[in-house]
Amino acid sequence: MSELAEVQGKPDVGKSGAGGSALPCDSGVLFFICADMGMFALFFLLFTIGQVSDPETYRASRAMLDPAIGLANTLILIVSGWLVVRAVEAGRAGDWAGARLRVIMALVIGSGFAFLKVYEYAHKFGAGITPLTNEFFTYYFAFTGIHFLHFAIGVGVLLVTISKLRKPQGEATLAWLESAGAYWHMVDLLWVVLFPLLYLAGGVA
Amino acid sequence: MDGTKITTDNSYGAWKFCAWNGMIFMGVFIVFWGIMGHNIPPYAGSLEAEHIATYFRDNRNLVRLGMVISMTFAVSYAVWGISIGKVMDFILGRDHLLTNLQVWGAGLTVVPILVSSSFWLTGSYRPDALPTETLQLMYDMAWLLIDLGYAVTSVQMIALGAGCLRDKRDVPFFPKWVCWYSIWVGFMFTAECLMPFFKDGAFARQGILNFWIEFMIFFIYAPIITYYQLKAINRIRAEVGD
Repeated sequence: MSELAEVQGKPDVGKSGAGGSALPCDSGVLFFICADMGMFALFFLLFTIGQVSDPETYRASRAMLDPAIGLANTLILIVSGWLVVRAVEAGRAGDWAGARLRVIMALVIGSGFAFLKVYEYAHKFGAGITPLTNEFFTYYFAFTGIHFLHFAIGVGVLLVTISKLRKPQGEATLAWLESAGAYWHMVDLLWVVLFPLLYLAGGVA
Repeated sequence: MDGTKITTDNSYGAWKFCAWNGMIFMGVFIVFWGIMGHNIPPYAGSLEAEHIATYFRDNRNLVRLGMVISMTFAVSYAVWGISIGKVMDFILGRDHLLTNLQVWGAGLTVVPILVSSSFWLTGSYRPDALPTETLQLMYDMAWLLIDLGYAVTSVQMIALGAGCLRDKRDVPFFPKWVCWYSIWVGFMFTAECLMPFFKDGAFARQGILNFWIEFMIFFIYAPIITYYQLKAINRIRAEVGD
C-alpha cells in the first residue's frame, strides 16, 4: 500500500482487486464459487434431461408457477447485485461509508427475494403442491431450496460485511468485500439461470 | 510460531502413519463396505424387498466379511483426524476451537459408519430366519443413518477448511483451494437431507446427486487432504527438528 493511501485508509488497488490481484476476489472463494456453480450446472442438466423425456408434465407443471414472481425475484437480485458492485467500487476508492451504505441497500432490497420465495412456497403447499407431486416439482423445490440456502448464507455474509465496513482495515476489508460481492453475484447469477429454466423454458401447457 | 512450544511430540513417523490412516480408511471403505456390501452403488430405494433379501441370503458371508472389516477399520477415520489436528496445532496454536471441532468431527464420523455397518451385518447374520421386509428394513435403516449422519463429517470438513485458511505462512500447509474444497464438500453434504423423501431420481440414495456426486467428492477428499498433510508434517519436521 502506498504511503498516501495508507494515511487515508484507502486500499492501493487501482482497477484491480485487493492486493493488486487480477482475480475478482480471493482465489479460494473463487474456487468455492466455481465448484458450487459446477454443481448447479449438473442440476440444470438433470432438469433439461427430465424435460426432454416428459415435456407434457413439465409444461403442465410450469403452468402452475407464477412467472411474475420469478421475474420480480430476478429484478430484485439483479438490482441487489448491482448495488454490491457499486459497493466494491466505493471500497476500492476508499469510500468505506459509501460502500457500507450500498451493501445495506443491497441487503434491504435483496431481502425482498426471501419474502417472495416464502410466499411462493406457502402458496404452492397451500395448493397441495409438494416436492413429491411430480419430477418437475421435485426439481423445483430442491433447486430453489438449495439456492435459497445459498441466499440465506449470502445474507449472513452481507451482514458480516456491513459490520466489517463499520471499522474498515484497508486491504483486508476490501478483500472481504470483494469476496462477499462475488458470492452474492453467484446467488443472483444462479437465479438468472433458474428463472427461465423453471418458469419459462419449454413453454406451458 | 515457535514449534517447540506447541508440542514436544516429535514422533513424526507416528504422525505420518496416522495420516496414512485416511487412505487406509478410504481403501477399506470402498472395497469392503462398498463393493462387498453392495453399497457402491446401493440398491435403489424403489427396489422390491425380495431383491435385497435375496442378496443378503445369497451373499451372507461376503456381506459379513465386508462389514466386519469395515467396522474394524472405521476408527481409522478418527486416527486420521487426530493427525490432521497435529498439523492444525502448528497453524492455529494449541487447543484451538477449530482444531477441536475438526478432531471431534472426524471422531464422531466413526459412529454412523460403525452403527450402519452393524445393521448390514445384522441382516447378513441370520438372513434365512428374518422376514424379507425385515432385511429390507436393515438395508434402508443403514443407508438412512450413514447418509443422514453427514453433519458430523461436515463439522470436521468446515472446521478444517476454516482453520487452515488462517495459516499465515507464505506457502500455507494447505493451499486455499484445498481449504475451500473442504468447506464446499462439508456444505454440499446438506443435500443428503433430501434423500429420505425419494426412492427414485437424483435425490434418492442411489441417485446421481445423493450417491454418485456426494460420494465421489468424499472419496477424493481424503487423498487430497492426506497429500498436503504429509507434506506439512515434513515441513514441521524441518522447522522444529528432531
